[in-house]
Amino acid sequence: MQLADRVRLGLAVAAAKAVTAVVRGLRLGAASVLPGEIARRLHPRMLSLLCQQVKHGVILVVGTNGKTTTSLLLRTILEKSGYRVIHNETGANLLNGLITALLAETNVIGQLNRDFAILEVDENVLPLVLKACRPRFILGLNLFRDQLDRYGEVDTISKRWQDTIQPLPNDTVIVLNGDDPTLSFLGQQLPQKVLCFGLSEPELYLDAIPHAVDSIYCPSCGHLLDYAGVYLSHLGDYHCPNCGFHKSKPALDSQDWPQILIGVYNKYNTLAAGLVATEIGIATDLIFEAIKNFRAAFGRAEELTVQGKHIRILLSKNPVGMNETIRAVKQIQQSGQSSTTLIVLNDRIPDGTDVSWIWDVDTEPLMAGGGTLIVSGDRVFDMALRLNYSHCELDTNGKPEKLIIEADLEKAIATALALTPADKTLHILPTYSAMLEVRQVLTGRKIL
Amino acid sequence: MELTIGWLYPTLMSTYGDRGNVICLQRRCQWRGIGVKILPLDRETEADRLETVDVIVGGGAQDRQQEIVMRDLKGAKVERLRQKIEQGTPGVFTCGSPQLLGHYYEPALGEKIEGLGILDLVSKHPGFNARRCIGNVVFEITASPLAAELSAMLGEKPVVIGFENHGGRTYLNSTAPLGRVIQGYGNNGQDKTEGAFYRHAIATYSHGPLLPKNPFIADWLIQTALREKYQQEISLTKLDDTLARSAREALFKRLELTTAAKSA
Ligand SMILES: [Zn+2]
Repeated sequence: MQLADRVRLGLAVAAAKAVTAVVRGLRLGAASVLPGEIARRLHPRMLSLLCQQVKHGVILVVGTNGKTTTSLLLRTILEKSGYRVIHNETGANLLNGLITALLAETNVIGQLNRDFAILEVDENVLPLVLKACRPRFILGLNLFRDQLDRYGEVDTISKRWQDTIQPLPNDTVIVLNGDDPTLSFLGQQLPQKVLCFGLSEPELYLDAIPHAVDSIYCPSCGHLLDYAGVYLSHLGDYHCPNCGFHKSKPALDSQDWPQILIGVYNKYNTLAAGLVATEIGIATDLIFEAIKNFRAAFGRAEELTVQGKHIRILLSKNPVGMNETIRAVKQIQQSGQSSTTLIVLNDRIPDGTDVSWIWDVDTEPLMAGGGTLIVSGDRVFDMALRLNYSHCELDTNGKPEKLIIEADLEKAIATALALTPADKTLHILPTYSAMLEVRQVLTGRKIL
Repeated sequence: MELTIGWLYPTLMSTYGDRGNVICLQRRCQWRGIGVKILPLDRETEADRLETVDVIVGGGAQDRQQEIVMRDLKGAKVERLRQKIEQGTPGVFTCGSPQLLGHYYEPALGEKIEGLGILDLVSKHPGFNARRCIGNVVFEITASPLAAELSAMLGEKPVVIGFENHGGRTYLNSTAPLGRVIQGYGNNGQDKTEGAFYRHAIATYSHGPLLPKNPFIADWLIQTALREKYQQEISLTKLDDTLARSAREALFKRLELTTAAKSA
């Protein structure tokens, strides 16, 4: 780094650190993005200069679902191996959030002394980040239809990724979910070293392809893909009968691997982190041990106890994710351990301002039999309407049984807690911003 | 009484919760004791099956999926669909579907996609760098005689509330607009028109999805379908739409649209 750069970097870092202190002191709540934004204005090459200093390299994590859980697992594995790791753990994944996370670990003159940086990156921001940062790994988890109002369409995103990854140096390692046709195809177009992870467990196939699916067409020729089976959404074992496109061979056998938490989702998250760790050279028994001892990130199957009641928060921010959380809740319900479910639907920027996606969710199982359902959030009536239309028969007063509508979140949570018997679990299914609010109400403190 | 809902390409054309329109029609029939069948009209469906359809529902698609649909919608299938619409079979076509019913659609990437030419309109994508038209949309239905029929049902002017999200812009030629924009972009963000109306076909950029929050349109489609099928006037049982009303009120309030604007 040149002297002038170093001086300017030092000044920018000092200013940003001062801002962080003020923001934290005043409890303004924007400490996860604001310092980065200020530093970026003071020094346009800030991200680049910070990334260069990470000793063993930067790992970028992209994908619609699972970024936080996967990053946390990978971080745990690396730390157990003795590495010092930075991670934008608050999930602030736009440019200013990345810079803020890196800044937090620098000294006053902008020196960074860390082995790895794990950066969760917003799908749409990846091309921008790649302008400033030469990562050692790019980990692509999946591409689901999510928040289309911000991102446009799956095809467009994958095309942009391809255009910006292609010119990167050949020693960049690209790790992709081979069960996702769009990502598998992307990997097959890249000149870099590409490693794929995926499931090879036909006993986990779903009975049918869920409705909330939009990428079952060949990314190469547009023909309908032929699926031997689907694990989750459009992730599965497929090939194209028209042009011969087929899924890339996984670099590890999922049958040999343990998993974190619950659900098929977390199988993928485990394999993703495991494959990157393996490629870095970490021993398998150490990775397995980290997997066995893993605890959830906030809002991702996180468990809390409040007023003596057991609560599980299952982030539900898009159709695929919500179908999975409903699947989990129904299973727990059937085992008799849950009777109350609270759904909180917000439509703020981090949630996506378009709530149409709730009509792609199969909410019918929630309304069929058993338990109390409570809805809340900015779009409480939209959610209630969706649930109401999940009923074939209308009872006399026109509303489904046991559906409680409470726009005020605090009241909704209080009601939900009151209606949950002591030996049962309250399940809360919030969108992203709703999850932050729910946690604040339950724990009495802000996390971001 | 029984209705068959023909659902155009359920997996290819259902990008923005458009399934909600099918669910809404289906439930509102079931709740009234009207038999209802859903017939997916996909690539495997024979053209003749279209003959049995009483209401047509079409949703939005990504550009790639739209191309696949256009490749499949040829020959006998197009002719049947055209006949159905010309004969007065009611239908609701959202997002990509109006583009498909017009003369052509120019996507941001790749070649111009020929449409069916049933509606006299064209659609163009102004390029990747142009802003998408995204946000809550509110418009008053003005198309004749639809507006008058809905007003009679409702006892007030029919105002639609939805969400739009489209890169493409639509320009109408001789086809009448469905309505006049109160808030949002509408067809092209310029001329204040939204959607198109022809025979009994409703085309609109408004999803959300359209019907659950605007149940009067759903009921109009059901009533029209029954009238066309049984050749007699059928009055529908009233349903409790308190939830839909609350959802509408909440959004009107947030958009700071006064009662005056609502029935402007
Ligand atoms: Zn193919």
